[in-house]
Amino acid sequence: MNLNIKAQDENTYDAIVVGTGISGGWSAKELTENGLNTLVLERGRDVKHVEDYPTATMDPWELPRADQIPHEERKHYEKQLRTGYTIRESTKHWWIKDTDQPYEEVKRFDWIRGYHVGGRSIMWGRQSYRLSPMDFEANARDGIAVDWPVRYDDIAPWYDHVEKFAGISGESLGLPQLPDSDFLPPMELNCVEDVLKESMADTFDRVLTIGRVANLTQPHNGRGNCMYRNLCSRGCPYGAYFSSNAATLPAAMETGNMTLRPHSIVNSVIYDEESGKATGVRVVDAESGEMIEFYARIIFLNASTVGSTSILLNSKSDRFPDGLGNDSGELGHNMMDHHFRVGAEGEYEGFEDEYYWGRRPNGFYIPRYRNLNGNDRDYLRGFGYQGSASREGWRRGVRELAIGSELKELVANPGGWTIGMTAFGEMLPDHSNRMWLNHDKTDKWGQPTVVFDVEFKENEYSMREDMKNDAAEMLEAAGVKNVSTYDDPGGPGLGIHEMGTARMGRDPETSVLNGWNQIHSVPNVFVTDGSFMTSAACQNPSLSYMAFSARAANYAADQLKKGEL
Amino acid sequence: MSTDNNIDRKEAIKRTGLILGGVIFAPNILGVLKGCTATPGDWTPELFTQRQAQVVTALADVILPADDTPAASEVGVPEFIEKMVNETYSEEQRQEFLDGLDDFSDNFQSELQAEYFDGDDEQRYEFTYHQNRIAVEDSPESSPFILSFKELTLLGYFTSEVGATQVLRYEAVPGRYDGCIPVEEVGRTWAT
Repeated sequence: MNLNIKAQDENTYDAIVVGTGISGGWSAKELTENGLNTLVLERGRDVKHVEDYPTATMDPWELPRADQIPHEERKHYEKQLRTGYTIRESTKHWWIKDTDQPYEEVKRFDWIRGYHVGGRSIMWGRQSYRLSPMDFEANARDGIAVDWPVRYDDIAPWYDHVEKFAGISGESLGLPQLPDSDFLPPMELNCVEDVLKESMADTFDRVLTIGRVANLTQPHNGRGNCMYRNLCSRGCPYGAYFSSNAATLPAAMETGNMTLRPHSIVNSVIYDEESGKATGVRVVDAESGEMIEFYARIIFLNASTVGSTSILLNSKSDRFPDGLGNDSGELGHNMMDHHFRVGAEGEYEGFEDEYYWGRRPNGFYIPRYRNLNGNDRDYLRGFGYQGSASREGWRRGVRELAIGSELKELVANPGGWTIGMTAFGEMLPDHSNRMWLNHDKTDKWGQPTVVFDVEFKENEYSMREDMKNDAAEMLEAAGVKNVSTYDDPGGPGLGIHEMGTARMGRDPETSVLNGWNQIHSVPNVFVTDGSFMTSAACQNPSLSYMAFSARAANYAADQLKKGEL
Repeated sequence: MSTDNNIDRKEAIKRTGLILGGVIFAPNILGVLKGCTATPGDWTPELFTQRQAQVVTALADVILPADDTPAASEVGVPEFIEKMVNETYSEEQRQEFLDGLDDFSDNFQSELQAEYFDGDDEQRYEFTYHQNRIAVEDSPESSPFILSFKELTLLGYFTSEVGATQVLRYEAVPGRYDGCIPVEEVGRTWAT
């Protein structure tokens, strides 16, 4: 008895955070800075900033097989390989092996992920954009799904808060559809990108700007500035882009209030019928297989959209037979991603005497311009573009007639300029796009596996026509030659922006979370990863996860201090 | 046949001249003519037969010979090619490559009554130029053996330290980004 009480005391904290990625790092930082003794759980291994980035400073000749993995290893990454860019000799240690982490697809769904401290904050694309007032009003305006219980003014101060700490470089434009962040100086466009920018302004009254990225253009909060190596996804030895490992977790550790526990797979949230609250989480130790319980007064789920939704679905009780907080029946539904891989590219003649210095880990961004003032297209919502221009390198030599010294000489001189852009479009929430758990098929830790039934629908396909044709039209208007278009949607999930399966809303009958990311019916459980998103907008979502996590964590800490939780 | 090849050779130089804006550096032309004897060096083939290894070495050096900078074989390209074919190709791709390599070798032998690696430099260059030209002009959508081989040769060479730093320009840590600067300030194509 005494032993049990002692064990219970040792396993009791003020707060538990499940997950260490973009959102979990922020929850951990804000909760610990509020003085809460916080246990941070990560299902994968530990990754220490810099020392656990084994390939970060390798030159091309230090990587075997020109950075390609052996064919024999490909079978372990059947689904992770679908991106075409994630599984390299230099980066494969950041991605799960599909043979260890199986899932099922009723329809193709590309679930691309890494399990380790820092999660996908190590490999993310770092594009950082605010949602706009228009985005938070969109569902109400269009009568789609449910209304966001939050408006831009509620979250704007929290965008300020996270941007000041994270460091976002970019250019202020004053656009209503893409509010400015608290920016570090922008990176430069190159000369051909400038041509497109001017042409778009003159011909279409549309804006092109440098990408807004969580890469530091000057030293910031003790982290070094970008060295323009463009090797971000190996981990940055300068801490020059935002990751949990470089930024939020060290800040949380600094408070002395964080206990970080890797190899901890959360099985479920423990619910107490009497108090109507959660009391802790059940964890499977990934190394020993042992089931351990940890207790706290508040729980933050930041296990990623699919991870957190799975934990809630697996947290069954008499009160919640269909998963914790699932009175609405919406848990696991309304899965969204961004749809992309559609756009245009071509060649630009001229600027033969111009080149660039450095490898910019960023491109240009074209903010949304469709359906801004009412809907005048045959689809709802809109899209933005990401793209870049560059001069061709040695690869063009393969299809040249030259061989021998002529070939060497040819490729030693930079080739012509090419420019291309890819659209990222908003995907509407739809109840039929869903995930659920298969309890009959468990993984090697005995946990249920996930099944996806998600597809792009008519609105997305209709939007893609504009996404493709507008790209070609804008390039041609700028004088780009040999313009060609492409359209290959792949599976939902390929944008690696899964969201929406525990959506926020005003009504407990139709949503899982309230406007504070709090489960309507279990107020001491907060979910602040992508699963809270009521609509997707067309902007890259990570900055919003940061802002909502910081807001919810400060609210939770405040409520706890007031004795409300 | 040899007349055709001579025409191809002249066209090659002419065309290259056009691409480079009419400037050809004499040392590079001499580099082609002086040639070099391809040897596998201290590399012990695991997948390739002795004949295949010798052809791979000779062919890589025809595509990227020694001139002001080292030849493909001097920076380990033949070994790299074997490693790529052996380790990153599927069984089917590997067989297709080996068949293509043997066909290439046999065709040279039947036309010129010598093994490719024993042929004289001029013959090797002209035969290879011709094969490359046919592939480039006739197969815009596919990658016949010679183009797959050429791609592997370039990949191995330009991801080697010599290729990246002596022929191209490589900066491990550029330190800054300038979007628009005179090409002379960089000098050569960026390796990465």
